[in-house]
Amino acid sequence: MNNKTKALPRERYRSFLEHQDRAIGSFLEIGAPGVWDCAPGNGSASGDDPPRGECSGENGPHLTDLPLAVKDNIAVEGYHLTCGSPMLQSLKAPYTATAVEKLVEAGALVVGKTNMDEFGMGSSTSNTPLGTTVNPWDHSRVAGGSSGGSAAAVAHQLVPVALGSDTGGSVRQPAAFCGVYGLKPTYGAVSRFGLTAYASSLETIGILGSRLDELEAVFRVIRGEDARDQTSRAWPRGDDEGEGSRDDAPPGTIGVLQGELGLSPGMEKSYRATQEALTDLGYRLEPVTLTTLDYTVPAYYTIAAAEASANLARYNGIRYGHRPVFAENPGELMSSARSEALGEEVKLRILLGTFVLRSGFQDQFYLRAQKIRTLIAGELDRVYQGVQALLMPVFPCQAFLRDQEEGMDSFRQKVADRFTCTANLAGLPALAFPAGVQDGLPAGMQLMGPAFSEERLCRVARDLSAVFPLQFPGTSRSFSEWRQGSDAARGGS
Amino acid sequence: MDPQELKTTAAMAMVELDESGVAALAGAVDQMLEYFTTMAAIDVKNVEPTTQILAASNRLRPEGAHNNNPANTVARADAVLEQAPDLEDRLIAIPNVL
Repeated sequence: MNNKTKALPRERYRSFLEHQDRAIGSFLEIGAPGVWDCAPGNGSASGDDPPRGECSGENGPHLTDLPLAVKDNIAVEGYHLTCGSPMLQSLKAPYTATAVEKLVEAGALVVGKTNMDEFGMGSSTSNTPLGTTVNPWDHSRVAGGSSGGSAAAVAHQLVPVALGSDTGGSVRQPAAFCGVYGLKPTYGAVSRFGLTAYASSLETIGILGSRLDELEAVFRVIRGEDARDQTSRAWPRGDDEGEGSRDDAPPGTIGVLQGELGLSPGMEKSYRATQEALTDLGYRLEPVTLTTLDYTVPAYYTIAAAEASANLARYNGIRYGHRPVFAENPGELMSSARSEALGEEVKLRILLGTFVLRSGFQDQFYLRAQKIRTLIAGELDRVYQGVQALLMPVFPCQAFLRDQEEGMDSFRQKVADRFTCTANLAGLPALAFPAGVQDGLPAGMQLMGPAFSEERLCRVARDLSAVFPLQFPGTSRSFSEWRQGSDAARGGS
Repeated sequence: MDPQELKTTAAMAMVELDESGVAALAGAVDQMLEYFTTMAAIDVKNVEPTTQILAASNRLRPEGAHNNNPANTVARADAVLEQAPDLEDRLIAIPNVL
């Protein structure tokens, strides 16, 4: 594979995206003027599949012309930055996020912005009035969320990789629902500059991809310290295991989360199959129980809501965003703007966050949640002295129905974050991977490791890919397949 | 949370809540707060709170003039101003304060 000689035929690729996305609605915007048209490679006649990223190369990863989709809460100059909210529907990003800037410098092409739950608050990509995204495997089901657009775009073969953000599982859960890989990096490993803030102490930019080598190539480009994000950290020098990873755990030992996990039959089956596969591959499995597991979700939502109430206070209709038609005074303008343009789920979390920070309630809720966070991080630290990574399901069930009556209500969706938000509270990396298809839907599992152990997690997932190869839904088409079909139809007419 | 408490919280969050808004959100707020109270069951005596994970201390920028935020450069000012809902010349207009 030689990426340097292959250029992406951009106009045809845009047609491919526009045509194929009609069925699933993963994009909010495709090919912003000036970003897409002026870039080199426009007009090429190549009909092959788009170039793929490569992990190794003399000068680092090759991403030349790698098509990249970006979740619409990450700034890309020239594109909108709606965050899935009517509040920011008209906002155009005045600059580009560091992670995207690095990828563009490495040659990647941002082909569009993907749909999401409003401000990242949700598990279905249904909490937004800006677009309807469905699961490419079954259109009556959700794509997951909040990075559901990015996951659906990868699963539907529209793009090989996409950026998302993970605050409590928002990269891994949609990755699992759509049957692709989803990496939530170590907190601070990737700059958050240009990522719209929701819960700053928990969230990271993450990567969704159909191939592990490309996902790793993208991660190697975007990681590292950034002067524009004071919480970013330099990637540890030396080997890719990193200084933060524990080497005192026996090699090849994987912890397996035990206890009352409340899994659906399909997930239970897949969880068992993954354990058997790991044993067959020569890994030694150790049972692990987490005494803090029942407290992770209330602690997570207390902290996330508190941070959201502060971060979203900036949306007041003054400098940008939605403004009401009329207001008597600035106070009325701000509260009307917020009341008119923020969705119910966003209001709920802002109210909860304001309440848990109120004097008189802070110790009972916010401070206690932060102490539980200390206990969770401490417990995981002890776990990683005995195992190199921890295997867990991503979500208790596979993709649920979009229909609100028959699907999963908003409260149960939150409680179901118990396996994912642990990694966010502890700041640790976790990788969701496809673990087969049950009853026509993908089942996703995840590996969580110590800080900076991303490469290790990818290695284990690569071993498992021999048993659980990535599958695409039958209705999806690669660019070359679509193009051949499209050319044949033209020739025949 | 009683309706008045919810309205007070909403006012602090600059969210208008009329009676129908209270009715729409009260159930969900109560459900979540009740869920939050389950945190009371775990012993956190002598446990320090975690405000930032993995960082041993605050990182500070070097003292001195610098501008590494592209949104703050003069060249970007117009792009930022263009986002304003109401402009008078190069000033963002808001309703009268008095």
